[in-house]
Amino acid sequence: MTNIVVLVKQVPDTYSERKLSETDHTLDRESADAVLDEINERAVEEALKIKEAGEGEVTVVCVGPDRATDAIRKALSMGADKAVHVSDPALHGSDVLATAKVIAAAIQRVEGVDLVIAGNESSDGGAGAVPAILAELLGLPQLTHAHHVNVEGSAIKVDRETADEGLTHLEASLPALVSVTEKINEPRYPSFKGIMAAKKKPVETLTVGDLGVDAGEVGLANAWSSVVESAPKPPRSAGVRVEDEGDGGTKVAEYLVGQKLI
Amino acid sequence: MRFALSAQHIEFARSINGLLREAGTPAVIRAWAAGEHASGLALWRRLAEVGVTALAVPEQHGGLGADPVDLAVAFETMGYHAMPGPIVESIAVLPALLAPDDALAGRWLPGIADGSSIATVAMAPHVPYALDADVADIRLQVTDSGLAEFTPAAVPLDSVDAARRLYEVMGRRAISRRETAADAAFDHGVLACAAQLLGLGQRLLDDSVEYAKQRNQYGNPIGSYQAIKHLLADVATQLELARPLLHGAAVALAGDAATTSRDVSAAKVACGDAGYLAARTALQVHGAIGYTAEHDLGRWLTKARALRSAWGTPAFHRARVLDALMAERAS
Repeated sequence: MTNIVVLVKQVPDTYSERKLSETDHTLDRESADAVLDEINERAVEEALKIKEAGEGEVTVVCVGPDRATDAIRKALSMGADKAVHVSDPALHGSDVLATAKVIAAAIQRVEGVDLVIAGNESSDGGAGAVPAILAELLGLPQLTHAHHVNVEGSAIKVDRETADEGLTHLEASLPALVSVTEKINEPRYPSFKGIMAAKKKPVETLTVGDLGVDAGEVGLANAWSSVVESAPKPPRSAGVRVEDEGDGGTKVAEYLVGQKLI
Repeated sequence: MRFALSAQHIEFARSINGLLREAGTPAVIRAWAAGEHASGLALWRRLAEVGVTALAVPEQHGGLGADPVDLAVAFETMGYHAMPGPIVESIAVLPALLAPDDALAGRWLPGIADGSSIATVAMAPHVPYALDADVADIRLQVTDSGLAEFTPAAVPLDSVDAARRLYEVMGRRAISRRETAADAAFDHGVLACAAQLLGLGQRLLDDSVEYAKQRNQYGNPIGSYQAIKHLLADVATQLELARPLLHGAAVALAGDAATTSRDVSAAKVACGDAGYLAARTALQVHGAIGYTAEHDLGRWLTKARALRSAWGTPAFHRARVLDALMAERAS
């Protein structure tokens, strides 16, 4: 019996234009379509695989505004069993520390957690720090950037892959926390049966107060990091145009040499 | 009566859309047209995994017992990707046809639900030939006196859509003289065909809009010229006006309404007209590249033309709408 908690986040669709709000430089959630972050679909998929290989229960934990229920439903449609949704206006603008504290408090309400699975980083914030902070707060071993996970009894083995450090093999005993990368798996598509069943699965909605977290520790005013200024990404420059006067090949080669590509 | 799709319908369509887009149907369609079924059958099994093939199969036969609105959603999405194969016959028609006969339903529907069986159904006069009879393991013909299994001709007939491999019905053997639900099965086929046409029309429009933004002429994207905008706007309007008729027909079929036949016929006419207009317009907007065999547009064009006359011609369905209206007036 493996009790697994999967962290999911609703993010603006990477295919739509993403903006920060002009007033406080937080994410403008209304300006873009909201979806379940793709990395979380992979985290859910990995949890379901572990559950299906033996026995267990998958609980989805989400911190986000009310409309994040759509992202939660998606995870439940894929096959997760239940959800905890922390929604509170006081959380607006929270930094990674506050977010991790709230998630830690939410996870502690789930009984007998053996494994916490998260995506390695969200596609909007992109800090990639929440899994590590969370592991510290919960006192769990952290096995981050996993591209392969293997649970055997009460042991977990992970292949950790990062661009800087290459491949590392990690091993820990449960309970533990894992964060997964995009290479971990291909998430399943929710089936008709899964979508219908998701309607009836329990979602517990909580506020910061319900979790016993002090509202003075969360939100934009209490964040340790702040965005002072933001500007849209400059449009791509036109590039170099090479007129071919019989020497096009040479000019392309010269350009590539100039860029140290050949 | 509520026509708007639920969040569950939209989520289900997203699943089907995701897996068909990822699989890339154009290559599958080309192979299918050449009689190479492996990639199409693999895709069929993936559709079975998300529940598409089990939708109309009752729960006691391993299905989902979903209603025609769910079917319409699935067929619109499969139409968008021009999924090849006898999807109408296997997924929409057969479960309805076998509904009154528990023995036959128990024999065949579990295989349909789990994707291991594929069915083709011929029902003259509107469906005289059996689609993809070479790949189907369940081959049925609806006759005046009941149901028959048949052997298809050795080679397919020529179809305007190369991916629709039509077979003549040859040797047949009666298997049931009981009354079948032929009329309900036909209406299910018409609805599924209409939904495919609507989805396909939407695909033709989307591809044309995309092309009009990319293709430059006289220094501007062709989509910036009114002549092109108006063509595409007309298609968008036709598709939008057909959609409520399709959803209305699905609701009527789900509720077994007295107006069901009229409603599915109206939907078939509207979706067929809109889909065909989308096809003709797409060819105009794409210009010469649309004619080339290498471009995917040809897959959508020929399918739209073939489906327009499949499961009853536009003239037949118009006549059925007229008859229903006259009968209502008389009563």
